[in-house]
Amino acid sequence: MSTAEMARAVEAFILREARLLDRGEFEAWLELYAPQGIYWMPSQPHQTDPLGVPSIMYEDHAILSMRVQRLLEARALVLTPMPRTTHLVSNIEVEDTDGDEISAQAAFICVEHQGERQRMFSGRHAYQFARENGSLRIKMKRVDLLNCDGVHAPITIPL
Amino acid sequence: MQDGASLSNEEIRDLVRPDHVHRRAYVDPAIFDLELERIFGRLWIYVAHESQLKKPGDFVRTSLAGNEVLITRDEAGQIRALYNRCPHRGARICMVDHGSSRLFSCPYHAWVFRPDGSLATVPHRKSYPANFDLDDPQNHMQPAGQVATYRGFVFANLAENPPPLAEHLGPMTEVIDNLVDRAPDGEVDLAEAGFILEYRGNWKLHMENAADIFHPSFVHNSSVSPARKAPPKASIIDQDQTREMMLANGFGIKEWEGIQLTGFAGGHSSMKSFYNSGVLVHEDADPVAVRYKAALDERLGPERAAAVLAMRGFNNIVYPNLILNAQYQQMRVVIPLAVDRTLVHIRCFRLKGAPEEIFHRAVRFLTTLGSPASMIFSDDVEMLERCQQGLVSRAGPWIDFSRGLDSDLRDDRGQVSGAASEMPMRVQFKAWVERMTAEAA
Ligand code: FES
Ligand SMILES: [Fe+2]
Repeated sequence: MSTAEMARAVEAFILREARLLDRGEFEAWLELYAPQGIYWMPSQPHQTDPLGVPSIMYEDHAILSMRVQRLLEARALVLTPMPRTTHLVSNIEVEDTDGDEISAQAAFICVEHQGERQRMFSGRHAYQFARENGSLRIKMKRVDLLNCDGVHAPITIPL
Repeated sequence: MQDGASLSNEEIRDLVRPDHVHRRAYVDPAIFDLELERIFGRLWIYVAHESQLKKPGDFVRTSLAGNEVLITRDEAGQIRALYNRCPHRGARICMVDHGSSRLFSCPYHAWVFRPDGSLATVPHRKSYPANFDLDDPQNHMQPAGQVATYRGFVFANLAENPPPLAEHLGPMTEVIDNLVDRAPDGEVDLAEAGFILEYRGNWKLHMENAADIFHPSFVHNSSVSPARKAPPKASIIDQDQTREMMLANGFGIKEWEGIQLTGFAGGHSSMKSFYNSGVLVHEDADPVAVRYKAALDERLGPERAAAVLAMRGFNNIVYPNLILNAQYQQMRVVIPLAVDRTLVHIRCFRLKGAPEEIFHRAVRFLTTLGSPASMIFSDDVEMLERCQQGLVSRAGPWIDFSRGLDSDLRDDRGQVSGAASEMPMRVQFKAWVERMTAEAA
């Protein structure tokens, strides 16, 4: 695959993730993660330590699948009514497109609507991908929320 | 009277019955103002931990009875509480939550203060009147009451003549003792990072929820159920801790009845024997737990160490707004913003001298239970907000907290009950009425 083709594939992958989240297809979303894949949303800007510093989310496939199960069962109080989201991902930059290690960065905005309330999240994504049998899987997705160390209300749908 | 006018003691007493409380206690701004004055303005309120104030100039910024305050360590080593306001024209001085500075300089006209609040310099001294005195306390950052500490926990009190801190804490000193005694070096450090959550509800709702062990079976079902379906020990990052914690809310009648609640004078309460399987220190041969126990044995001797670890309190409520969990090194501080808006600061401690992994587990505990994305606490927050939304309605003004009223017992220390009792809430409201109707000390 050429560099340009790879960049396009990564971009399509990232946009697909956003669409799956918007449509509530959480099982398909989880499939995007490698079995050893990790979703990390730090609580501090420039956080490097996921163990000694709390994270908003630091979850591997096993924990994410409980989260997905909870989202799909849709009976959590905080998921009633189920929030609706628009995940907007832009400014995508693909790096290191040679070899099997691929990474990318992007900026995002997510608008979430639930009941009487509409909220907005924003920040940056940093992806590390693994290529398995020709297809991409997420090894690590880091979500740096603009207000990661700010005052929060519950966060339910992954960003 | 719902328009901010003050209430008579008679009217306050009429709001609380042995088994009911009037909805006004949660929705009336006039009552909220009185709470700031008579509860948060007169009781000992947790403001900082000494591990944040190691050397002169170290400070934290927090809130005390609706005021922004700085807790500092001065040049003489004493801890001070100061209003974060310039005595000159009133500007906020410090704009960060913590740090270290030997001088606090007001950005507006550059008055410069020492960490004890005294005025060090003003620029262009000669333009101030001849009788302007740097040493005049009126020109200093104003002290926000008195400060006292108990084993590293710093409390402030805005009353003129408060009772000693230990008297206020009463039996709750045991919880702080237990937390500190769990550290093989005999000291704990407050972890620098934590979470701040805001919910749209009255501060008391969270204090009641933290002592309510009846709700998890219902409210946390949505996290228990996925955890039950998940395979054990599948996680590669947390030794199954998240799943176990989610499972722990799914207790049956038997576990439920094993939980013991104790309520004390002053509004405090404690909760024993919950999350018993040992999420942090596994009972089985966990090498981290083995190293930790060995370190603790060395300091305390095996017998004392075993006694320290055997004290299994979950949420211990230090009235009015501190929640301590010594067993898992967790702390919550509830900060009232308005009658229907509250902040919850959620932090954890490092047991000094314990293996680093013990701290990592405390951090994991904090994330699983206290993160904004928590699969557990988010449902609590939702319920607190729904209570506030419901209480706005004027219909049927009385809220029931009678559960367990007939079966509660007294022992020599206080009120004892099983988990199904709303006794802690009754104890909190008993203290509430006492404080709200008491004369200023
Ligand atoms: S307001 Fe602070 S120096 Fe003037
Ligand atoms: Fe709860």
